[in-house]
Amino acid sequence: MINRSIAPNVQPIRHIDYLQAEKELLGNDLPVYYIDAPAQEVVKIDFIFEAGAWQQDEKFIASFTSYMLQEGSERYSSAEIAEIFDYYGAYIQAGADQNFATVSIISLNKYLPEILAVTEEILKRPAFPQHELNVLLEKHKQKFKLDNEKVKVLCQKKFTTVLFGEKHPYSINNRIEDFEAITSEKLVHFFKTYYHSGNCRVIVAGNADRQVHLLIDKYFGGDDWRAVSGPVRNFTVVPSHEKYHKLIKPNSLQSAIRIGKPCVGKSHPDFPALSVLVTLLGGYFGSRLMMNIREEKGYTYGIGAYIFPLKEAAYLVISTEVGSEYTEATIIEINRELERLQNEPVPAEELETVKSFLLGEFLRDFDGPFALATSFKAINDFGLGYDFYEYYLEVLNRITAEELQKLAQTYLSPEDMYMVIAGAK
Amino acid sequence: MINFEKYILDNGLTVIVHQDKTTPMVAIDVCYKVGSRDEDPARTGFAHLFEHLMFGGSKHIPSYDEPLQKAGGDNNAYTTNDLTNYYLTVPKVNMETGFWLESDRMLELAFSQKSLDVQKNVVIEEFKQRNLNQPYGDVWALIRGMAYQVHPYRWATIGQEISHIENATLSHVKDFFYHHYAPNNAVLVVTGDITSAEVMKLAEKWFSTIPARELAPKNIPVEPPQTAYREQTVYRDVPNDALYMAFHMADRLHPDYYATDMISDVLSNGNSSRLYQRLVQEKKIFTTLDAYISGDYDPGLFIFSGNPSEGIDLEEARAELENEIELIKLAPVDARELEKVKNKFEANLIYSEISYQNKAQNLATLEVLKDAALINTQMDGYRAVSATDIQMVASHIFVPENCSVLYYRAKKQKHD
Repeated sequence: MINRSIAPNVQPIRHIDYLQAEKELLGNDLPVYYIDAPAQEVVKIDFIFEAGAWQQDEKFIASFTSYMLQEGSERYSSAEIAEIFDYYGAYIQAGADQNFATVSIISLNKYLPEILAVTEEILKRPAFPQHELNVLLEKHKQKFKLDNEKVKVLCQKKFTTVLFGEKHPYSINNRIEDFEAITSEKLVHFFKTYYHSGNCRVIVAGNADRQVHLLIDKYFGGDDWRAVSGPVRNFTVVPSHEKYHKLIKPNSLQSAIRIGKPCVGKSHPDFPALSVLVTLLGGYFGSRLMMNIREEKGYTYGIGAYIFPLKEAAYLVISTEVGSEYTEATIIEINRELERLQNEPVPAEELETVKSFLLGEFLRDFDGPFALATSFKAINDFGLGYDFYEYYLEVLNRITAEELQKLAQTYLSPEDMYMVIAGAK
Repeated sequence: MINFEKYILDNGLTVIVHQDKTTPMVAIDVCYKVGSRDEDPARTGFAHLFEHLMFGGSKHIPSYDEPLQKAGGDNNAYTTNDLTNYYLTVPKVNMETGFWLESDRMLELAFSQKSLDVQKNVVIEEFKQRNLNQPYGDVWALIRGMAYQVHPYRWATIGQEISHIENATLSHVKDFFYHHYAPNNAVLVVTGDITSAEVMKLAEKWFSTIPARELAPKNIPVEPPQTAYREQTVYRDVPNDALYMAFHMADRLHPDYYATDMISDVLSNGNSSRLYQRLVQEKKIFTTLDAYISGDYDPGLFIFSGNPSEGIDLEEARAELENEIELIKLAPVDARELEKVKNKFEANLIYSEISYQNKAQNLATLEVLKDAALINTQMDGYRAVSATDIQMVASHIFVPENCSVLYYRAKKQKHD
């Protein structure tokens, strides 16, 4: 009989091999990064423009410019573009975040010639037709109203405003009236300023064979889409004077809670160690917050702690939705967990668990063409190279309980934290 | 084409192995043939609550998650109307840890009162977070309640009401376990850079000593055909009105299933689809409008859901939608439209073959349905669908006496 009480031997993962992106400069200096991992006859291409909220003068301009790209061009109507993508079973998705607008294409290799021909139109000659803009505006207004009914959305918006200040582009303090100010002229202007080869990067993942290289060069390697970007923009972070903020949403059964503060970004030497610490606190199922507040007390369906590294700033946040009656008790427990990390070294076994979990995550993050592309983008967005991951692995393998405790004392003091609660009363 | 091998252990456990050499990871998927359709009407939500308890420790292993995390693994689970699926990924070198953990909780759970009490609370908070405290969070419960009168699909997987979850006792839990969680009621799928010899050695070692169990008989009541139109109007504190129309459709293994699935694609898959082009883009009747099938194993639902544009009443929106529904009944779809939908199925099939994890899940859920080989053959079912099939199936399904309509009205408008 086997003895089920004894766990099978586990081999520690110390070293990880992964495929790196290879850079190629096109004739117009457009950088293209190839991750040739041909699991299937499929290729994913991301066109990334520095054209996010950071670059916009008014709310929603960056995202609506990206949404409108596929809504009609000089040669094709919105309906024709949709028909081409659907007919070939390909997908296009566009959106903008704090610093970047990304247009992603997924296609079977065999249909890439047709798909890239229309993608060129979309990226170089969009028409921004008024009718299609009205349709999108109406849809997003409704979605906006719906989102504003959710405590977690209200809480997150307020939290970013508390951390960065009303005028900062990282603050998501948009209002329904902001939709009224969107015009196609503003979108065209934004497009002309930021969508060109000098402000773009391309990441190609999947079966990136010779044909793919030739097509990318054919459609995007020319001098026809050079332009000059707007001036470099700078913003000052103006955090709230108050640490505690409360939003009332009558009749809520649950409260959304955000507790956090600005922290060091990806290029800071403390970043990898801080990621380990935040994972230990709330970044995996066995984390302290999950074990205490979900698995021990049952106050919530889920609670987590994360670092959000953005290009110009980073913040860490603990976030959850709890039964309204558990709001106070949850805050007390969160603070207790922060203090425990500051006052007591992490037990050896727990440290080993979180290290093993993160090494497994590391393997998953570099497994398959799309994961490889995501992991590459996560450094390339910040102007970092693969040495970021080498350093991260090195830190992960050698970090000690003492270092983590010191780090907690530096970065996780409850009195430094901003807190936003959205819920009933 | 996905090659796999299938074995059945003496205790009835089905084991499926698929080799994918591109990954250093292994996916282990254990799918139990029990879902919310197997629940007692007085104890709904039990299959899902049980899924939570499966992480509360098993007979010889006090914590499920910790040893897996130590092995670099990650896991999760979900419950549907028809099945409960547990899946994990772990570096190949540590895959035995996955066999050890999954076999021990198939053998016997720890059954602790503390774990039950906490997980009842967690599930109640999940109920609030997903349904009660969520705009439109009760839509599915309302539609199910209208469309089904006797079949257990009439309640949601999370449960009919909180009290059913609150009232669960440890003896109910044990009873449920021994009648549904058994090797002869489960499928184990392993994918990754592994051979079937490696997998079968571990499967024999860890799973073969689990005894087969006497299963609860599947006495799922059959929903009688709907014979009259059903309608309901509710007023809720939501920002926008919404319209839902649900029609009964064929079960997952019925030949009409493929044509039905394709109808939903012709109508609403992608921005070039009929409903989007005509009613969202051209006429601006709706801001969002979708047509989709529930995908249930027993006869499921074909659903339309949409938010009308500002100033458009639900009745008017519905009339416009019904015009489109009439069109698909009156005239066959044209050749290019049909080809487009088939191309999309083929492309999606290839996309889904990229991930070893996806493949494990698809093999497991199809084996629970009937046969994992469907992963390769069901595309033939879609390829064979003709324009006439689509027209016939649409004409059969989209009739008033087969329809349930939910008018979900924003409260404020009532007083305008």
